[in-house]
Amino acid sequence: MLFRILKNSFLKRPKAVLLIFLSITMGAAVATAFLGISGEISHKMALELRSYGANILLEPSAVEGGFLREEDLPKIKTVFWKYNITGFTPYLFSIAEFSAGGKKERGVVSGTWFAKQLEVPGEDSSIQGIKGIAPWWEVQGRWPEDAAEAIIGAALAKRLNVVAGGDVTTIVRGRSQQFRIVGVVTTGGYEEEQLFAPLVTVQSLLQLPGKVSRVLVSALTVPMDDFGKKDPATMSKDEYEKWYCTAYVTSVAKNVEEVMAGSRAKPIWQIASAEGALLKKLNSVMLLLTVLALGASATAVSTSLMASMAERSPEIALMKAVGADRFQISAIFVGETLLISMAGGVVGYLLGDQLAEVISRTVFSSTIVSPLWLFPTAIISALSVAIAGSVVPLRRALLIEPVRVLKG
Amino acid sequence: MATTIIETGGLTRSYGDICALKPLDLQVPEGEWLSVMGHSGSGKSTLMNLVGGLDRPSAGSLMVGGEDLLALSEDGLARFRREFVGIIFQQHHLVPYLTAVENVMLAQYFHSVPDEAEARSALERVGLGHRLKNRPGELSGGEQQRVCIARAIINSPKLLLGDEPTGNLDHKSTVMIMELLKELRAEERFTVVMVTHNQEVAAWGDRTIYLDDGVLVREERTNS
Ligand SMILES: Nc1ncnc2c1ncn2[C@@H]1O[C@H](COP(=O)(O)OP(=O)(O)OP(=O)(O)O)[C@@H](O)[C@H]1O
Ligand SMILES: [Mg+2]
Repeated sequence: MLFRILKNSFLKRPKAVLLIFLSITMGAAVATAFLGISGEISHKMALELRSYGANILLEPSAVEGGFLREEDLPKIKTVFWKYNITGFTPYLFSIAEFSAGGKKERGVVSGTWFAKQLEVPGEDSSIQGIKGIAPWWEVQGRWPEDAAEAIIGAALAKRLNVVAGGDVTTIVRGRSQQFRIVGVVTTGGYEEEQLFAPLVTVQSLLQLPGKVSRVLVSALTVPMDDFGKKDPATMSKDEYEKWYCTAYVTSVAKNVEEVMAGSRAKPIWQIASAEGALLKKLNSVMLLLTVLALGASATAVSTSLMASMAERSPEIALMKAVGADRFQISAIFVGETLLISMAGGVVGYLLGDQLAEVISRTVFSSTIVSPLWLFPTAIISALSVAIAGSVVPLRRALLIEPVRVLKG
Repeated sequence: MATTIIETGGLTRSYGDICALKPLDLQVPEGEWLSVMGHSGSGKSTLMNLVGGLDRPSAGSLMVGGEDLLALSEDGLARFRREFVGIIFQQHHLVPYLTAVENVMLAQYFHSVPDEAEARSALERVGLGHRLKNRPGELSGGEQQRVCIARAIINSPKLLLGDEPTGNLDHKSTVMIMELLKELRAEERFTVVMVTHNQEVAAWGDRTIYLDDGVLVREERTNS
């Protein structure tokens, strides 16, 4: 009988039903789309953010002196968190005397990788170096390709009065090496006082073959939370495992440190925490937007239900007069809204999934796989919208006094 | 002497300053057909609604079928209405999107379980066996009122209330409805309280009371 009542009441008032259905569908669609792409957005944002600099610094653990070994570097591509490591580059530097066209200046010479093809057995080949982890560097000219080519920081270039195409002689402890300057680099930072040359050349200039003084690593990490901030040394075995298997910047750093002999890895906190905070904010914004969208559709549902309650008050009064109690009245109207919202949830899910797909394609030019929990979430959103939207109208309906409405 | 089905003591209903029903003492024995007359605004519907558990008195006592209506909760009154009372209004109040038989089944649904066969036979008893699947909009006024009667008697009420059930009907339909009610009462033995403006309709009852400005001013036995 309840079904008969609902069916006929739907057929009799298709417009009102459609309106409620649409409100719920919209809400569920927007919620589905937002939640569907929020994971994607976080991921994409994290990737974008990674281009603003490395977040882990590897240094020799010895108090003074000491170097890392270049031969250990490929191992970074084999660690547990290897897929989170988007790039790294080694540095070997020293104070040096530069001379060009009769001018002499002091500065820093840095040996590094620019874009080195790295082959690691059992892993995909990759390109590592400054170009990858510092994409914001602006090079006027080109990147070095030859062992005797270098790029020079803009400030140092100005002092030496050299431009791309010129030569700079670098003298360290009596040994000298001439570099052909192929580019002038602007970074906005201390790097502008340095000369960057291929690692091997600087190693032989400094007579430190196979040595590296620091490595900068760029890794995708999750925001630090209270658990992440705990000292791993104080953790139980289970806790340590959980910590190790969460991509906190500290656990990734620890992971890298383990493969680099004699190294100590330090998170670059400024960057790590700024990113974490930004991603957290982004997630809260997405969640807030979802809640707002659901709130808006609940309001729309409430409004249309109110309107249809007003229109249906004679019917409600009549049902009460023939003996329907509050529970029976509620069952009819809640049943109606729940049925509509189920349908709205399913359709909203399908629409929202498509919407997420389109957004992801146009904004991030990538496809997404919608997570399994999205469907139940869409249905639950639709039901919550329906329930939230029904509260006030239903209370109205229950307050209807049959005598007043049925006056003859 | 039959048992008393309705007993009021100082029953009063006021709306702010307006006193729609002045303290009223009334007894209705089980099985009686009571007609209620009075000019417009004299409190007839007010009395009817109180007795039917659709409204609550401002003061006084009200026992119907051994139940103290003042002591019942809102849901208790709803249960009282569906189990004890059948109501017919002047406007044939039917759910517009349900067919005749579904409108009757609605009362069964609220009461216990809908039984389509029983609902059909109720409509056949009021002479509407051929209009089961029609919606109210497709029925004449008299036919709609007969659907209301079928709905009112479907749960075998002890008390049948009518608030000018023939008020909108012509003479012929009125007589038809009254005869139908008389027949049904003979079979079902329910008590009838019927509000009417029509002396002729009132004469179908055993007794008529007259209200004036919320006061019972006169009562007379009908000689039938
Ligand atoms: N909800 C209400 N609020 C205020 N006054 C009301 C209300 N319902 C009824 N009244 C007043 O109570 C009095 C009795 O009304 P009631 O409906 O009982 O009259 P009635 O005898 O049924 O009249 P009619 O023959 O026109 O139906 C009237 O004066 C009416 O204005
Ligand atoms: Mg009246």
